[in-house]
Amino acid sequence: MNRVKSWVTYLQVAPLALVFLLFLIVPILTIVVVSFFDYNTTQIIPAFLLQNYEELLLSPVTWRTYKQTIQFALITWALTLLIGFTVAYFVAFHVRSSTMQTVLFLLCTIPFWTSNVIRMISWIPFLGRHGLANTTLMNLGLIDQPLEFLLYSDFSVVLAYVHLYTLFMVVPIFNSMMRIDRSLLEAARDAGATGWQTLVNVILPLCKPGIAIGSIFVVTIVMGDFVTVRMMSGGLSASVGLMMANAMSLLQYPAAAANAVVLLLLVLGIVAAMMRMVDIRKEL
Amino acid sequence: MARKSNDGIGRRRMLKGAAGIAGAAVGSGAITGFPVIWAQNNKNIVLRQCGTGVSAINEIAEKCKADLGITLQMTALDSDAVVQRVVTQPNSFDIGDIEYWMIKKVFGANTLQAMDVKKIKLFDKIVPIFTTGKLKADSVIAQGTAPSTVSFVEGAGSTKFAKGQTQWFTIVPTIYNADTLGIRPDLVGRKIDSWKDILDPKFKGKTSILNIPSIGIMDAAMICEAAGIVKYGDKGNMTKAEIDKTIDFLIKTKKDGQFRAFWKTFDESVNLMTSGEVVIQSMWSPAVSAVRGKGVPCTYQPLKEGYRAWGGGLALAKHLQGAQLDAAYDYINWYLSGWVGAFLNRQGYYSAVLETAKANMTADEWGFWMEGKPAQGDIKNPQGQIVEKAGAVRDGGSFYDRMGAVACWNAVMDEDRYMVQKWNQFIAA
Amino acid sequence: MQHGKRGPAFWLLGALFCLFVLFLYGPTLTILILSFQGPSGGLTFPMNGVSLHWFRNLFEKQMVGDFAGSLQRSLILGVAVMLVTVVASFSAGLAFRSRFRGSAVLFYLAIASLIVPSILISLGIGLLYRVLGWDPAWYSSAFGAHLTWTLPFGLLIMFAVFNRFDRRYEEAARDLGATSWQTIRHVVVPILLPSLIGVGLFGFTLSYDEFARSLYTAGTFNTLPLEIYGMTTNVTTPVLYALGTVTTGVSVLVIALSLLSVTWLRRRRTRHGSDAGKAA
Repeated sequence: MNRVKSWVTYLQVAPLALVFLLFLIVPILTIVVVSFFDYNTTQIIPAFLLQNYEELLLSPVTWRTYKQTIQFALITWALTLLIGFTVAYFVAFHVRSSTMQTVLFLLCTIPFWTSNVIRMISWIPFLGRHGLANTTLMNLGLIDQPLEFLLYSDFSVVLAYVHLYTLFMVVPIFNSMMRIDRSLLEAARDAGATGWQTLVNVILPLCKPGIAIGSIFVVTIVMGDFVTVRMMSGGLSASVGLMMANAMSLLQYPAAAANAVVLLLLVLGIVAAMMRMVDIRKEL
Repeated sequence: MARKSNDGIGRRRMLKGAAGIAGAAVGSGAITGFPVIWAQNNKNIVLRQCGTGVSAINEIAEKCKADLGITLQMTALDSDAVVQRVVTQPNSFDIGDIEYWMIKKVFGANTLQAMDVKKIKLFDKIVPIFTTGKLKADSVIAQGTAPSTVSFVEGAGSTKFAKGQTQWFTIVPTIYNADTLGIRPDLVGRKIDSWKDILDPKFKGKTSILNIPSIGIMDAAMICEAAGIVKYGDKGNMTKAEIDKTIDFLIKTKKDGQFRAFWKTFDESVNLMTSGEVVIQSMWSPAVSAVRGKGVPCTYQPLKEGYRAWGGGLALAKHLQGAQLDAAYDYINWYLSGWVGAFLNRQGYYSAVLETAKANMTADEWGFWMEGKPAQGDIKNPQGQIVEKAGAVRDGGSFYDRMGAVACWNAVMDEDRYMVQKWNQFIAA
Repeated sequence: MQHGKRGPAFWLLGALFCLFVLFLYGPTLTILILSFQGPSGGLTFPMNGVSLHWFRNLFEKQMVGDFAGSLQRSLILGVAVMLVTVVASFSAGLAFRSRFRGSAVLFYLAIASLIVPSILISLGIGLLYRVLGWDPAWYSSAFGAHLTWTLPFGLLIMFAVFNRFDRRYEEAARDLGATSWQTIRHVVVPILLPSLIGVGLFGFTLSYDEFARSLYTAGTFNTLPLEIYGMTTNVTTPVLYALGTVTTGVSVLVIALSLLSVTWLRRRRTRHGSDAGKAA
């Protein structure tokens, strides 16, 4: 009986395991191998060299780029957490019917069905010098010069990140909130806690798993991004992903691969740290 | 009175043009031994072509189907993706539309096969820039990766570029052009005649250059040289010291807030210009037409230092053989036979065989696009939209004025590994 | 908080929520307005007149690129990814309810899959196919690349769902003599259906809009995001915005219809439920 059961279990996870083996483990091993290869203007030469890593890690540019990427990730994380928590809180505790909750969530997903490439282009007429935002503000008399920092700046990059990824924060936090036993909240209120105290002392700690998962989503996506940062900064800001893309555009795969390995280790480290704080699997 | 005589000239030109077409149609048949009706023995052949949207145009595929029977499946990609695909996915395409500066890297990957020039019927008619390197007998070959230096390999199956002409051609040129600064004449408010004018503090936060490292650094080099900041031995193949100086200067300029953004795709440059984000930037000729087509004034400003040129062409995938390979040669021969050339010329690009393209254009079109003459009637783009009114003259003048004033070709440098590192430094600054 | 009158906190948070939605819809609104550009208008302001030109143009042949083909590929790919994601994460979710040898490894693999930057997966799979001499295609390599992205999401959602699932339903079914397959088919799946639909929608949306993971894995033909990006290498027109507006319209419609049918199903089920009660 038991043997049959374990056989069934393995069958159940087989598809998942197969996909990860084929499309995750093997490709990453390929990248690791290539990162030690040599290359010149025209060719990639199989070898075992540490030069790619040396060039990468000894260059101050790398460190500056990593710093900037981490900075983007941190700012985005803080903003998405703040906004995401507020939104999730509203939907979880202030919207009463579950149908209405579903409707509100679906309302938030509709913009994401339009291809991101199109949405990226549309930020220009929205935020640009003569765009909707500036025209509106000027018509309202709030400003008399167009705000230039709205587009092609670190501001616009973060804005786009927040726009794209807040929902990734909202959903897991909402999930955690829905698991909170409502009688706990009543107990807190009966014990004389104010709404704020309940929020900080009861709800927030119980949302930790949701916050952790949301944070993993947001931080990891931002760390590896290159499309958003290029388009929204107008090519003026760097990111690790962009650095790799530049190397790849000139077919310098080993350099890109070495950078990829370093980035992967960094992101793994960040996530491991987060997972130490919360046992996601148990608390989901 | 004046009007009448104008009409007279117009009609005469028209007649001459028509005669020209007829003559050339007969003539091309005579020269090349081609029937005017194409042989339709390629009905079941499918060729997959990948390239940038610049030349992956659906109308060309339709016309190809009609004339040759070949089904051409065009996939448009950005220039980075084209290179990646040609190098890493050699079976995913049959014909690659590649830029000359990248050929230097791509051909080495051994995923392409050189073409036998004997099978290219109009080979002798191809603009000599791509064969001997000299536009005219007395021309000097410009700096950078001049097409002629990567046009030939030493033998069939070889990936080593030959010094002179051989029987084995790497790519057949399709489009090429001379790039310069595009400006918004209504917003710059001064005369622009040098690459260094992009540095004018007046345009602070309203300028842009290209964001493809190998090309962006060329733009930068044109600017640095014009402003007397760096003296280059060869802009197309800089030394480390020259790269350092150029990038340092770029970083300083960027920190001063001179640039609004850097553009990477054609469309971005158009949007930057029409939206008024930028008033002066490095640009392509058809992008300028596109801006004008939206009712926004834009000039393609010739500069005293000359142009930064580029070109692209069709290359054959290594795996092509048999009937497919024959069909690919048919396609290339058809490409050079005039209809496509005229189509490309009407967008403001230049095509490989001028003679046949001329035969497919009206005299007025030819005069406007290629000879720098004032347009007699309205000039239309291939889609039939009016892009220039009668009387307009093309910015920069004739083909020979423009292609004869090329200062530098887009290039891959020997130090490109170092260059990319420095470029990353520039972007991160 | 749960009942009684709406306090000021409700209105404040409600206002914040509306602001958030407005922010989400910023680009959508811009797209909506600009999709009505005049025939000679561009992708940015100013408007050059107002027309329906670009909506008609959407169904005509473009100068560069092919909406119909790439849309079809993206839809097929999205649906395939959706189905595999739902099935694989549901069955893995079932398995993960008990510890088994290798469960920790698999779980951390899922987390790793989530955090490996997209461009890396894309490059890695591209290089791998090159090394093996396989030809990448949107239905093979890109399909796998998308799954490495949607499966961890699906799995995490299934964890959350199963943690809240009351196992007594299953035990009751088994006590009544149902086989384990029957239990899953007639008890577990119907109860979890809304969550499974959620996983599916999520998977579809992630795949449909994936750019970086398709970049080096799509093979000969482009998916829709790649095609649109490819189109920007030539002059693009507000037809892109028309596409955006139509997409938004269609998704609103689809969502409204599915909501209606779900409500209808639920009503019917309660009615049936009460009928059954009477019969007994």
